[in-house]
Amino acid sequence: MGEELTIVGKKVPRWAAFEKATGAARFTVDFKLPEMLAGRLLTSPVAHANILKIDTSRAEKLPGVEAVITFEDVPNKLFNPNKMDMCLFDPSGELPDMYVLSDKARFVGDKIAAVAAINAGVAEEALVLIEVEYEELPAVFDSLEASNPGQPRIHDFAKNNIALTFPCLANRGDVEEGFKEAHVVVEQTFKSSKQHMCQMEPTTCVADFDASGRLTIWSMSQHPFLHRRKLAELFDMPVGMIRWKTLHIGGGWGKYGSFVAEPVCVALAKKAGRPVKLEYSREEDFRTTETREAHIMTGKIGVRKDGTISALQNKVVVQGGAYFTHNSNATNVAMGCFASLYTCPNVYEIADAVYTNIPVSGGCRGYGNPPAMWALEQLMDMAAEKLGMDPLELRLKNTKKVGEFGPANYALETSTFDDCLRLGAEKIGLKEKRGGRREGTKRYGVGMAMFMHVSGSIGATQHRNVHLKFNEDGTVNLAAGCVDLGQNIHGTISQIAAETLGIRYEDIIIHTGDTDTTFFDQGMHASGGLFQIGNATVKGATELKKLLFERAAKMLEAHPEDLDVKDRWISVKGSPDKGVSVADVAKDAIYNYEDDHNHLAAKGSYSPEDNQPPVGASFAEVGVDTESGEVNVIKLVIVCDVGRAINPQTVESQLEGGASQGIGYALTEDYTINPETGYLEADNYITYKIPGAADMPDMEIIQYEKPVSTGPFGAKGVGEAAMVPIAPAIANAVYDAVGVRVTDLPITPEKILKSMEAKREKI
Amino acid sequence: MKKEIAKFTINDRPYELLVESNVTLAELLREQLDLTGTKCACGVGECGSCTVLIDGKPTLSCSTLAIAVREKDILTIESLATREGLHPIQQAFIDHGAIQCGFCTPGMIMMTKALLDENPDPTEQEVKEGIGGNLCRCTGYVKIVDGILAAAESMGKEGGR
Ligand code: FES
Ligand code: FES
Repeated sequence: MGEELTIVGKKVPRWAAFEKATGAARFTVDFKLPEMLAGRLLTSPVAHANILKIDTSRAEKLPGVEAVITFEDVPNKLFNPNKMDMCLFDPSGELPDMYVLSDKARFVGDKIAAVAAINAGVAEEALVLIEVEYEELPAVFDSLEASNPGQPRIHDFAKNNIALTFPCLANRGDVEEGFKEAHVVVEQTFKSSKQHMCQMEPTTCVADFDASGRLTIWSMSQHPFLHRRKLAELFDMPVGMIRWKTLHIGGGWGKYGSFVAEPVCVALAKKAGRPVKLEYSREEDFRTTETREAHIMTGKIGVRKDGTISALQNKVVVQGGAYFTHNSNATNVAMGCFASLYTCPNVYEIADAVYTNIPVSGGCRGYGNPPAMWALEQLMDMAAEKLGMDPLELRLKNTKKVGEFGPANYALETSTFDDCLRLGAEKIGLKEKRGGRREGTKRYGVGMAMFMHVSGSIGATQHRNVHLKFNEDGTVNLAAGCVDLGQNIHGTISQIAAETLGIRYEDIIIHTGDTDTTFFDQGMHASGGLFQIGNATVKGATELKKLLFERAAKMLEAHPEDLDVKDRWISVKGSPDKGVSVADVAKDAIYNYEDDHNHLAAKGSYSPEDNQPPVGASFAEVGVDTESGEVNVIKLVIVCDVGRAINPQTVESQLEGGASQGIGYALTEDYTINPETGYLEADNYITYKIPGAADMPDMEIIQYEKPVSTGPFGAKGVGEAAMVPIAPAIANAVYDAVGVRVTDLPITPEKILKSMEAKREKI
Repeated sequence: MKKEIAKFTINDRPYELLVESNVTLAELLREQLDLTGTKCACGVGECGSCTVLIDGKPTLSCSTLAIAVREKDILTIESLATREGLHPIQQAFIDHGAIQCGFCTPGMIMMTKALLDENPDPTEQEVKEGIGGNLCRCTGYVKIVDGILAAAESMGKEGGR
């Protein structure tokens, strides 16, 4: 480094922007095969029931129906749809507790049967003809109630519906001693909500067995290689008999860290002997697919007189829903983030993963960190108030220094918390605006929250591989097994490859989305794409450049180490008239008629040797209407240390997008379950309200750049960062405005009015 | 199901198609004609991703029966770029990074076209209201609004298109 960068750090067009702007980009929902059948799902209308009988005979007889499947047609094997058990070493593991289709309904939306027919209309007609006899069982929907004795048992093995009890891996010190040292202690229970990913493309999968029995699957998995292996194990197939392809993907945020439509689609295609496309309606997407991880956290913080934190405790109940999926990993991350944001010698956290008869929680953008910060960052403000200290000061007293450990347990190479906090406080005008300006029925306030996330996760199979080859015109094919769901990983690694090789951005032709033609990649999660695949790309491109220089050196009669490459031209240091174009060298390698043939190609592999977290703070200014309870976010400032922005426009849009999801999480996205029936009431975009253009506040995004030595060109991962601190910053701002604290998400007008009422009564 | 032969002008080309009476315009475009640029995120009129222009008016194709728009002039995202290049709205969306996953993009761009045809010089507030029915889960809308304002400006300079 040290040299001037020409492509990294520049705003170049995102990957595939042209295709997406013209409507040419094909997504999975757009994909068709000859002879393809339409698949449709039958899901349970009741929350808890034994299935006494399923009669599919009438459906099967309907002309145009090619296959009907029930639990009898799927592998008789329990599995967990989440891929984490294959990529992370985690002592508690993820429990296998689910069948592809169930013989027992455990929530409204549980998968019971499926149909493949010549078109969607016939398939839907056939669903109505499937007769299921349900023996309804008592159900339980509340995670706190579910573990009381005498409640209906949801899985035979789980006594009191507790699937697993597990401590935080970062527990340390002695909290009892810590609380004794504290000058103030605050304890509070916080409830986070089952936010829905709401990716705009409906979940879809296409599966096709060829004549040899080899399966090709087109789906939006974030982990094609891990899911291919998981699918092979589930269906007892050799991995090589499965080819996993990925098309354009309309968002995901963790939804496709689990299987969604794939196993049912494969079972349908197998039985029908024809390709099947299984597409979920938006309502099904809401009802049956995984949501954000959700927790009830009873957090406790002890702070000494000087403002340093002496102890942190957190008792967690996981609102996991009817199946286990990501409960263990997402909760470990939540507890790990709670334990590691601040310097604190004494930490104790423990979690109970509890089953209920509600839809399943998975892991969504931030993966445990947003629920953890929802609790911790409000506790910080509460403790500051009790201590009589400014909340900004309290944070500054406890920020981590260089050499202390981040959530992934690597020592911090840089510590920019203080800079981010101060910068953001100044930008929002924290001092001037604090304290609830009044105007008619409106009260105004400001609040903040800090965050630290990860650049990828840690563990056994966290490796990434790319390969690169030169074409004879000097362009490069970059093949990678990663998945672009809209985050522009394909664009940013292309920038990295071009920069390293001394060619142009447009010289990189990226190839992805096919397990047959790319090397193993462990997939898109934990903001790890850029940090890890970027590093693999630097390695591969550096190796390719070495081969390029070796060949060029022969042509130029120079030493490879004396060569330099810039903008497609290789020159000899100190001899300005000597040089050759990259294209000529690449061409010479392939078409040298003197017999010295070769194809310049290289592979880059990276296993995490480090993990430098993105850190920062967000600040919110809100207006609260004391009559309607309405909260209006006026301004958001987000300061994020990104290491280095490979493409500043891409980084900015990641932070803006994360912030908008944070606003929805904080205020409007209300995953309401009917307390009598367990029926999800918010199953569409009207009742489940995600932010629209007019809901967005004025946003100021500050990319604070302090490159880290182990990131590609100094970069860190920022995909999830902005999602993490928004809700607590807004909650703290609401408290500043009206003096009430809503502790269960989302902060709705009704809850605010109720809390204000309760406060008045107290006075 | 009742079927009828109906005429449409789609992206300036004449079509005569056999249309079932319950087929939506989105289905006709996507399935019958393979014009898959038009997207359906909800299928029930709540998200704007399926927006096309019918006689210049923005319309939700998922909630419009094909037969009801026979004889009409239908414009989809596929019509905007020409041999000469991208439409200024498309160019502005690319330049301003207004596209992430791209699933909302066709509907958003068609809505923008309707908006700018009607109001060539909108304020930021008018833009936000104009695309109020078009949901995007990726961008937080900041870059979309920037892109639309920039498109308005460049189209104003070009004298409209
Ligand atoms: S698909 Fe038409 S409005 Fe959502
Ligand atoms: S860009 Fe993904 S939904 Fe708008």
